Amino acid sequence: MTMFHREAGVFKTTYAADMALFPLPVARWTVAALAVLFVAIVPLALGEYYLSILNLIFIAVVGALGLNILVGYTGQISIGHGAFMSVGAYTAANLAVKLGLPFWITLPAGGLMAALIGVLVGIPSLRIKGLYLAIATLAGQLIIEWTINHVPAISGGAQASIQVPRPHLLGLTLDSQSRLYFFLLFFAVLAIVATLNLVRSRIGRAFVAVRDQDIAAEIIGINIFRYKLLSFAISSFYAGVCGVLYTYYFGIANYEQFQLIVSIDYLAMIIIGGLGSVLGSIFGAIFVTLLPIVLRLLLESVGSLFFDESDLANVISGTRLAVFGALIIFFLIVEPEGLNRLWRNIRSYFRVWPFSY
Amino acid sequence: MRKFVKSWLGVAVASGALAAGASGAVAQQKEVVFGLQCDRTGPTALVGTVLCPGYHDYIDLVNSKGGVDGYKIKVIEVDNEYKVPPAMEAHERFKKEGEVIEGVYGTPQTLALTKKLEEDKIPGTSPGFGNAAAADGKRFPYVFPIAASYWSQAGAAIEFVKEKLGGNLKGKKIAYLFYDNPAGKEPLPILNELAKEEGFELRTFAVPAPGIEMGAQILDITSRYKPDFVVAHLFGRSPSVSIKELKGKGYPLSKVVSFVWGSAEPDIIAAGGYAVAQGYNTLQFAGVGKDFPVLKDIVAMYKAEGKSPPKEMDSTVYYNRGVMTAAVHVEALRNALKATGGKKPTGEDLRKGLEHIKDFTLGGLVPPLTITPTDHEGGGWCSVWTVKGDKLVKTKDWYQGFRKVVEKQIAADAKS
Amino acid sequence: MSSEDFGFLLALLLNGVSIGLMYALIALGFVLVYKATDAINFAQGEFVMMAGLIAAAVMGPEGTWLILAILATLAIMVGFGFALERVVLRPLLGRPVVAVIMATIGLAAVLRGLTPIIFGSSTMGVLLPIGDEPITIGPASLPPIQVLGAAVAVLFFAAFGWFFKKSRMGVAMRAVADNQQVAQAMGINVERYFAIAWAMTGVVSALGGIVWGSMLGVDIQLALVGLKVFPVVILGGLDSIGGALLGGVIVGVVESLAAGYLDPYVGGGTKDFAPYVLMILVLMFRPYGMFGRRQIERV
Repeated sequence: MTMFHREAGVFKTTYAADMALFPLPVARWTVAALAVLFVAIVPLALGEYYLSILNLIFIAVVGALGLNILVGYTGQISIGHGAFMSVGAYTAANLAVKLGLPFWITLPAGGLMAALIGVLVGIPSLRIKGLYLAIATLAGQLIIEWTINHVPAISGGAQASIQVPRPHLLGLTLDSQSRLYFFLLFFAVLAIVATLNLVRSRIGRAFVAVRDQDIAAEIIGINIFRYKLLSFAISSFYAGVCGVLYTYYFGIANYEQFQLIVSIDYLAMIIIGGLGSVLGSIFGAIFVTLLPIVLRLLLESVGSLFFDESDLANVISGTRLAVFGALIIFFLIVEPEGLNRLWRNIRSYFRVWPFSY
Repeated sequence: MRKFVKSWLGVAVASGALAAGASGAVAQQKEVVFGLQCDRTGPTALVGTVLCPGYHDYIDLVNSKGGVDGYKIKVIEVDNEYKVPPAMEAHERFKKEGEVIEGVYGTPQTLALTKKLEEDKIPGTSPGFGNAAAADGKRFPYVFPIAASYWSQAGAAIEFVKEKLGGNLKGKKIAYLFYDNPAGKEPLPILNELAKEEGFELRTFAVPAPGIEMGAQILDITSRYKPDFVVAHLFGRSPSVSIKELKGKGYPLSKVVSFVWGSAEPDIIAAGGYAVAQGYNTLQFAGVGKDFPVLKDIVAMYKAEGKSPPKEMDSTVYYNRGVMTAAVHVEALRNALKATGGKKPTGEDLRKGLEHIKDFTLGGLVPPLTITPTDHEGGGWCSVWTVKGDKLVKTKDWYQGFRKVVEKQIAADAKS
Repeated sequence: MSSEDFGFLLALLLNGVSIGLMYALIALGFVLVYKATDAINFAQGEFVMMAGLIAAAVMGPEGTWLILAILATLAIMVGFGFALERVVLRPLLGRPVVAVIMATIGLAAVLRGLTPIIFGSSTMGVLLPIGDEPITIGPASLPPIQVLGAAVAVLFFAAFGWFFKKSRMGVAMRAVADNQQVAQAMGINVERYFAIAWAMTGVVSALGGIVWGSMLGVDIQLALVGLKVFPVVILGGLDSIGGALLGGVIVGVVESLAAGYLDPYVGGGTKDFAPYVLMILVLMFRPYGMFGRRQIERV
């Protein structure tokens, strides 16, 4: 019943209360329920296949949150996040293989290295914005790919791939989907909590100021130079960690996994989910990961009614790609704030239901 | 209808609902599941849209004749779009449906699934791509290249060049024109080793992605380096561009030999047709053309159903490779069933089945393939086909080029 | 420098210029839209692919219906440009850059998904009635298609240059690009000009598709030419037609020289890499490109 009391029952009397992580008591209960669901129920109830999908979503959540900090909160743009992931991936893989370091060292190291490279690529953002920045980061993506491909010391040889041993935790080798589930869930939750805290902090507010009106922000004393680069650093750190998680998940670092198309997929996630929203990043990661799977299942079951068997496979694939593109356009035109907005609409509809006026 | 309901259930579950257990597949009697990854929309869609129908048609043919020892084969295909995360999802889905063997698709995907295939004890095949070192069955017990790797292709290419240049390469100049990605660079150790052993000079010319233009490289080859032979290892659109450019700069195409992904009918069409590509030599790991008994059987199967054979059949290079992959999978199943005495086989049984394939030729469409526990590549056989008239004609029968050097490289890689 | 080396250099330069002009032809479509509507088209390559597919399908495998194919491609691409502006771009007016970028990326996915279903996925040729014999110019020789492509590019650039400088419609479009509100106040129908800009992109893409399709063959991989747009337009300036021309030539020449003189020393393809490095340098020192409009921002 908490739900129905919230409109009248919450009065904030201090700024601290207003800025709290959980502004409403009901949020605490929701979080507790979700924790039980994801820690206790899901891993027991679902088989390896569904856990593998969740695992892919967890990794995507980390990357989408990072990109949203840059694009959604700070108003910069990057088409180079795929490359930042590969920077994290190769850093971790080299440390894990050459020095035999465990994941709790390689993971932050991969993030930090990606942050460093991210700042370098972000330097043009100090002079340029919009499309020009988009293309500068695109150039960053291609230059990083080129460098990895041509420097064996980074790439580990002509194949440009480094096999990485499975991570160990509490004496367990994390090799099955269910074991990797907890590993990846932990980092997804960590990334969510960190982002929630970041965006309500002084830094997060400065990011938003830079996004909304950068010159005005500078006048009120925000050092744009610093905050733009900081945003690139933090965002790339997430991307790097995301790349390390992929590396441990697949057991290999390989830059061909992180090409331009990956940068674009992550942009699609935050656009569809909702720019400048933590929940939106999560929705977007879920949506973009699930969409092809769900569309494929749908078309597999009903497609044979409309198409000849031999054409079906091509039709399924082509339709899936077209629907993906059409949905991006749809969200941009019809619901620019993405799934997050839809979710809020639904929630407020039920909050006042049945007295909608 | 059940399929429909099941899929919807799957949708609900995947969306986060907890109805998971309900959709467990109803176990059918006497059926084995093969998983097939494919790319029909990504950067290699031109290959996938032809190769995968070949795979399906061969399996349909086997099923139409009653399957293997009473077992029908069910193929589940997933389009991984040449992306890695969907390849993992596809693998897990196949596994859930009980697959016993998997056709992997794409080099990054093969690399990313190598560990998982081993952990799940399901053999995966990667004909003509993936990791050349995976020929070593001891090191990579669940990955089967089943066809000439890039190392074997490099050996075969140089062997062919040697034959064409009169049996001696001493002092000759060879140009290696390659796509500047990991797959393009993989053959370099073999080529460098052979340059040392055979005494020829090797120069490399890189073509960066997307490879739609290489005027400068070709100019460098034809007017500055002036090699005795060109070995090309290109992908996607670049093979056709290379044919056109070499021809345009007056280099004889009879002195060019291409690796396996620069050698299909679409490459010749895109280069301007057979008239332009006369004399162009290509390496193949499966037979080309329609003159094979198995392909006639497939046509007959379509006839019996009152249909005309699919248009993909006309693109014989890729289509036949799909047929070959399927045939090797079926042969593995046949061996596995022999070993289990008709009991439903597991992935482990199929792995052993693959490792017991011996002198398998499929009426000439496949080289004399012999896969062993140590050699998952099956010998690294190639043949050379040349553009003559309006088709590709076989000009060198199945052979293994510089096998010793390739084997040495495989062993050296295992040590590093 | 021996005469042979000099000949090689000349041949590289000639190759670079001619291919650069063909890059410029692709970039022109991009610049036209940006100049008039401030929208960024990441689907330029897919436009070219679509045009190539239409041309090849209408023309037939023997190239029988050449004139019909050119006309049909032009008509369909113009219609497509109009429709696209109306359905996708107009609702996005005034939205952030990332929205338009993502919309065109989405559009690219739609086109790549649907075209194989409509046209099939096999490779088709675009047979133009020109020979295969290389045309020799001094020490170098060029394939005729490249010469034709370069000629088409130069012709288009001259035509559009004239259009924007002299014609009433072109001046109106420049006014729209400069300041939409003022243009509207002066009685210019802004939305109409936006539609016209997209239609013009359709025209350029149609010709680009036919020329590039003839050179590369037509299937979904033709869309790869779109990747060449970015270094060209950054170097030249997003809103400068002359800049796109020069940017194209520079990229073509830099690629050519990089492949000829740099690759042998680094043992890898520097061709795609070199223009991007050049591009970054330009961005650092002249963010608006070599010929772009310098914009001043006010709070």
